[in-house]
Amino acid sequence: MSDVAVVGWAQTPSVRLARESEVQLLVPTVAQALARANLDRREIGFTCAGSCDYLTGGPFAFVSNLEAAGAWPPIAESHVEMDGAWAMYEAWVRLQHGDIDTALVFGSGKSSPSQPAEVWAQQLDPYYLAPLGVDPVSLAGIQARALLDAGKATERDFAEVAVRSRHNAVDNPNAQVKGDASVDALLAEPYVRAPLRKHDLPPISDGAVAVVLARGDRARQLCERPAWIRGLDHRIEVHQPGMRDLTASPSTTLAARKAGYDGGPLDVIELSATFSPQELILREALGLDAGANVNPSGGALAANPVMATGLIRIVEVAQRIASGAADRGLAHATGGQVLQHNLVCMLEGE
Amino acid sequence: MSRVTTSTLEFPYSRTVGPIVGAFLAGLREHRIVGARGADRKVFFPPLEYDPNTGEALTDLVEVGPQATVVSWTWVDEPTSKHPLDRPFAFALVQPDGADTAMVHAVDAGNIDAMSTGMRVQPRWRDEPRNRIDDLACWEPLA
Amino acid sequence: MSDAKKETLVMEHLVSLRYEEELTPILERYVDALIDGRIVGHKCPQCGRVFVPGKGYCPMCVVETTERDEVEVADTGTVTGFTIITPVAYYGQEETEPFVYASVLLDGADSTLGGQDVVGIPHDQIHSGLRVRAVWRPKEKRSGNAVTNRGWGSVASVIDAFEPTGEPDMDRAKFEEHIF
Repeated sequence: MSDVAVVGWAQTPSVRLARESEVQLLVPTVAQALARANLDRREIGFTCAGSCDYLTGGPFAFVSNLEAAGAWPPIAESHVEMDGAWAMYEAWVRLQHGDIDTALVFGSGKSSPSQPAEVWAQQLDPYYLAPLGVDPVSLAGIQARALLDAGKATERDFAEVAVRSRHNAVDNPNAQVKGDASVDALLAEPYVRAPLRKHDLPPISDGAVAVVLARGDRARQLCERPAWIRGLDHRIEVHQPGMRDLTASPSTTLAARKAGYDGGPLDVIELSATFSPQELILREALGLDAGANVNPSGGALAANPVMATGLIRIVEVAQRIASGAADRGLAHATGGQVLQHNLVCMLEGE
Repeated sequence: MSRVTTSTLEFPYSRTVGPIVGAFLAGLREHRIVGARGADRKVFFPPLEYDPNTGEALTDLVEVGPQATVVSWTWVDEPTSKHPLDRPFAFALVQPDGADTAMVHAVDAGNIDAMSTGMRVQPRWRDEPRNRIDDLACWEPLA
Repeated sequence: MSDAKKETLVMEHLVSLRYEEELTPILERYVDALIDGRIVGHKCPQCGRVFVPGKGYCPMCVVETTERDEVEVADTGTVTGFTIITPVAYYGQEETEPFVYASVLLDGADSTLGGQDVVGIPHDQIHSGLRVRAVWRPKEKRSGNAVTNRGWGSVASVIDAFEPTGEPDMDRAKFEEHIF
């Protein structure tokens, strides 16, 4: 198994509505990630991107996005209709062949032009779920109630997650929802999807992120303190929400174990909990204690550029390792609905 | 003042349903609800072609319900045009008697105060079935 | 297959997704110019290629371009590639008669305008190399309605079609790298 590290990164600030097109967001982001890695785009051995055309409704938007990487001279590239974290998984696998040394990965999404509830329903079972217009906030509401019924959490616990997220986000120039709020003030707000309130939901965001990977000694040449990927794994559960335990995340536990997480100390953890109850479920799945440094960036409640959110978690951990602020971190990405599919990335400084 | 373009992307699907989903939909037309029984006697509902845990083909269809229990729920205050009901309703996990898993569907309870985990519900049928999941129009509290 | 049998085997589902998007600042300027009777693009400061409409970057060099790089191109050009589409009836299809789908390389541009109609010439005489000029709508009928952030640019709702200028054909060597 080849040692691969994150040696370059960049992200746009997440905003409610970006005037630029998706590829226009990506061009400077990719350029900055490459510059940080001291690489020219022509040196990159493999490019992989994660995005979803349905967010902006532009057929072949993902083809346009590739112009940010520069497809001339011709490049070796791939695309996943998934969060950029899975594009990174593919790039990491590609680097294991040992014939190339560097890879460029990016994730992007503009949710502002569409109705997320309509678009997301299309990823569901076309016979039993999509025709009912089942939307992600409704599923999250069902999951939240199950958590309350199981006695595993209270609405106050949900609000505390939101308060911590917004507070942490104050120090993150790329976060969208930030500030200091009181739990009681948040709990006084009306339900959006009982038992979820607005603060329990992610913002609608437009944003992009890029990462540069390098293998072995090349990584040491390009970056003073690379963030080494010690393990990377993802696991998926059953699709039908009524056939899983929505109050737990066994796929996250398994992915973490397969990625080499042994329960030892972690300096930083970034979780893709897009709904506040999900942070509680993920903490339990990973065996994190109350004092764990979870989502210092503010997490997905502070910024949720769909298809970039998970890769941003990896960047937030990697940059803290590269700066020396952290030695060992865990980043989590999710796909599907209500934590169906989970990816865990273990990162470490040398 | 910037220009705004609006557009609608439409996909008119005619999906073949296969023998399991087809049998489920045929059952709805006859006001019957069926699940699929797996090797360990567990009844999967709604019925799938393959056991989601073992991958084995499921061929044994059994009738379940008609009454059911709400396993979890949320309240939709402002339904959209894509939702099954045009007045506030609950999206819920509904598990028919005899089934071991639940479906996601709407419960027309009228008011959030009428909803509770564990409540008993019965199916309401669409007058003119059209070979779709919402031939079971929604669930409602037991009369 | 009988209707009854087809009915049991098939489920109908119309998926309908709504989108509402503000034009990017670059396309705003592009539409303003179009309505004013001018076609503008961006010229790459590195390779000098001109893309119409401007993209905000050069896709060949991957360097950013801005208003500073805006240039005007002619409303005359060359048909570099084309096909005649015979419409097939499907949900949403509005065309009923065979129509032209041509790529036009405007004089001064390095990218083509795709999907253009060519009028004033029988379909079977349209050919690559044909010299054409834009058929502009009267100013009061022009709008930016058909220009969106998607795809690779449009002149629709301002320029309805292109027509032959009568000039001799463009030399193939000058457009063979701009077919699509």
